[in-house]
Amino acid sequence: MKKFEGYPFAAVVGQEKVKKALLLVLVNSRCGSLLIGGRRGTAKSVTARGAEEVAQGRRFFTLPLSITEDMLLGSLDLERTLQKGVRAFAPGLLSRADGNILYVDDINLLRREVLAAVQTVHAAGVNTVEREGLSHREEISFTLIGTMDPAEGTFPGTVLDRFGLYVETEDMTDVKQRAEVIRRALSFAGDPGAFRKKFAKETAELQRQLERAQQLLPRVEVPEAMLELTAQMCARALCAGHRAELYLLEAGKAAAALAGRTFVLPADLDEAALFVLPHRMGRSPQAQQQLQEENDDSKEEEEKPENRSETQKENEEESAPQLPSQNKNREADGSKDKEDNENEEEKEKEEDPHSQESPAPADETAAPDKNFPPLQLLVAAGRSRQERRGSGKRSLTRTSLKQGRYVRAELPGGEADDIALDATIRAAAPWQRWREPQGCALTVWQSDLRQKVREQRIGNTFLFAVDASGSMGAWERMRAVKGAVLQLLREAYQKRDRVGLLAFRRDRAEVLLPFTHSIELAQKALVRLPTGGKTPLAEGLTAALTMIAQGNKAQKEQEPVLILVTDGRANARSGATEPVAAALKAAERIRRAKIKAAVIDTERDFIKLGIAQKVAAAMGASYHPLRKLSQEGVLRIVENLEGEL
Amino acid sequence: MKRKAVYPFTAIVGQEAMKLALILNVIDPSLGGVLIKGEKGTAKSTAVRALAELLPALTAVHGCRFRCDPAVPEHFCDDCAALAAAGQPLPEEKMKMRVVELPVSATEDRVVGTLDIEHAIKHGEKKFEPGLLAEANRNILYVDEINLLDDHVVDVLLDAAAMGVNTVEREGVSYSHPARFVLVGTMNPEEGDIRPQLLDRFGLSVTVTGEHEPSQRVEVIKRRLAYEEDPDAFCRRWEKEQTQLAERIMAARQLLPRTETDDELLLKAAEVAVALQVDGHRADITLIKTALTVAAFEGRTQATKEDVKRAAALVLPHRLRRLPFEEKTVDWDKVKEILDA
Repeated sequence: MKKFEGYPFAAVVGQEKVKKALLLVLVNSRCGSLLIGGRRGTAKSVTARGAEEVAQGRRFFTLPLSITEDMLLGSLDLERTLQKGVRAFAPGLLSRADGNILYVDDINLLRREVLAAVQTVHAAGVNTVEREGLSHREEISFTLIGTMDPAEGTFPGTVLDRFGLYVETEDMTDVKQRAEVIRRALSFAGDPGAFRKKFAKETAELQRQLERAQQLLPRVEVPEAMLELTAQMCARALCAGHRAELYLLEAGKAAAALAGRTFVLPADLDEAALFVLPHRMGRSPQAQQQLQEENDDSKEEEEKPENRSETQKENEEESAPQLPSQNKNREADGSKDKEDNENEEEKEKEEDPHSQESPAPADETAAPDKNFPPLQLLVAAGRSRQERRGSGKRSLTRTSLKQGRYVRAELPGGEADDIALDATIRAAAPWQRWREPQGCALTVWQSDLRQKVREQRIGNTFLFAVDASGSMGAWERMRAVKGAVLQLLREAYQKRDRVGLLAFRRDRAEVLLPFTHSIELAQKALVRLPTGGKTPLAEGLTAALTMIAQGNKAQKEQEPVLILVTDGRANARSGATEPVAAALKAAERIRRAKIKAAVIDTERDFIKLGIAQKVAAAMGASYHPLRKLSQEGVLRIVENLEGEL
Repeated sequence: MKRKAVYPFTAIVGQEAMKLALILNVIDPSLGGVLIKGEKGTAKSTAVRALAELLPALTAVHGCRFRCDPAVPEHFCDDCAALAAAGQPLPEEKMKMRVVELPVSATEDRVVGTLDIEHAIKHGEKKFEPGLLAEANRNILYVDEINLLDDHVVDVLLDAAAMGVNTVEREGVSYSHPARFVLVGTMNPEEGDIRPQLLDRFGLSVTVTGEHEPSQRVEVIKRRLAYEEDPDAFCRRWEKEQTQLAERIMAARQLLPRTETDDELLLKAAEVAVALQVDGHRADITLIKTALTVAAFEGRTQATKEDVKRAAALVLPHRLRRLPFEEKTVDWDKVKEILDA
């Protein structure tokens, strides 16, 4: 086995919380798994990997993102099966990591199926394999440590909840500290051996501390009062289920042991709570209900800016899972960005009822509202298995092309054209004694052939059809619309969606951006989008339908989703039909085409006409008033069920 | 077979930033590579392919599939580590550093490596067949149109780039080997974005544009025509420049370990990083490392403020903390102000 030769744990500058969290899970594997979040380049991996050296002989097993299922869970041992003629089990990575540490970089990019398998085995402590004619069951335990950059997308609450501890790397703003980071990085790169020697004493001290803590751990007692405190803390944080209590208790015990004590103090629990509670706060059913009620209340209220922002704030705090960094992001952006402050002032001016009532002059270009709260895009009740399970991955399309990641092998339905050679060989192996040798060690028959199952991580295709007419042009409204669409685009970016953008105003609909992966382009087109003129809603819908039909032909595997943003005030007449009636007709065609759709209603005038809602119903689309969207932070799109009216 | 002549690196007109960035990475392969952004027809690929001619020789363990460096036991592959542990001598051989190309259509198994099927069928044993990442160890890994790379291939690159190790757990093989490469990517920004995580793995970035100066444009055409007419003759004409540059690179490589910086520059680099709100520490670390390399290239053993300024133009632009598709550009006045203070 190779000795650890990386950057020493003890030499990592700062990041005390991350180090502490690592020590806790190393002392007590019952704390659950550890998730380390943080921006790129903040020493997540370096710190985590460095922990191997102080881990008391336990090794780090790296789980690569490209892992196939056979290598994760175990499969047929080719060599032994051939030699002995009986099916033998080759342990997978999970088995090999038994008693050690399983480490995943960028764990948020791991396929959800793989992560689910890892988390299930981790929680149950048992790996059961039923495949390739093998039946294998073994008890295994390992410590799971993963890192992620939340900017690349995070986990849905249920997945997040299964991590015992969560910690985030800190942004370092102290210049002297940063200079020390550079100095050490250069020094390590220049002569790793000498550098490691410099920190040998501190490393040894950490090793001793950990060893002592591990010896103490079985003797650490939890007084009754501490049990009660644990329960109270979790209840106060509105945690769902009882996992939080268990993790908090075990982490508290680890903290006590690290401090050299055999009894748990409130301070230990406070320390543990920093890692156990933040990512699972406020997910209990009561909390959700409370949230719902608040929303309902606020609906009745007059819409005042102060009022709205308050509800928003509450929602942000309560509607977890919201990782700390995401909150931080927003605060930081709000306070640091000078431009934002200016926008704020501008906004106040625009909130003036007079300016709101008077339509904006023709062809204005509103800047997007940067303070629009983050929006989640959920596409419910899909056709693919993953979606039904609510695993959070939007659309994992099984691809029949020879593209995408090879995830497992299966018996071919018809002719095998994308042969999984490894699985084929394993399928052939047990039968070799009975087969006529053909000069090779292996004789492969047609019946052994296995085919690759590939998965391509692609999101959905979203078509944003945006009403850019004069009636939308009330300045503030367009800003909010752009803000909301930008948030949705941001979501789409993280999920690798394709997007298209279509605007309708004056007398026609215009494709601003054909379907593309480049969200950057979509954003630019959106920001530049001018407002003015009449509302040709029917034309907009027809153009959307055409674009989706064409896009769908080209990319058969992706189901496009239409997101219509309008106030519904159709008034541009073309032909004999009255504009609203024409729009409803076009909407019905969309319903008949079974296109999943959502309507975001931006109507805010005193006299509400409610046309957008009617259009939504005719389309079979889910309906979301813009204001409600900003409060809930979720755009839920459900399957368009034809005929359900 | 006679090798086809390659357009000489030194004959490329203009594009000084791109050329400098590439050269710096040859002098110090640990800088983290270059991302070259630009429209079609701006000599991006020509420059990278031409770089091959200037690459220095490597000392590697003879017969090692990963060209392990006998002088760096920390980065040994399993085989070399086993030999060294057993006290066996590691025979050396010289070989040229290469440009290994990763085509956008490459499949994951070709990139990370896979089960050697032939060996498995013939001998009934599992054997690892190395992929492009193995070939790229200690070489340059070149990805043309890197923004069009499949997502899962990007994941694999990120995995390898993070720790310089390629861990393979697929198709019946469990294997890991060193994969430390200089990542050079080109992209046309009009054709789509590159993921921020991958962007962050590039030490340097440059944006190239076509030459605007008419006389320069004429020179570009003239040289191209001359090259196409008689590549060998053209290359001979540039031989002197090529040799000179190659020698200068070699000299810089020898000088680099002795090149130093003072504490004041370290503090300034850190200050720039804080002021510009970059993500993480890679910006400041790379800023100093690049400045040191610039100094070595200029034949000096002490990095100066001016070196840091030149480095900043290559290191900072792609590292600003920004939300997806938020547009931000480096506040160069601020950088200058901090450095000149």
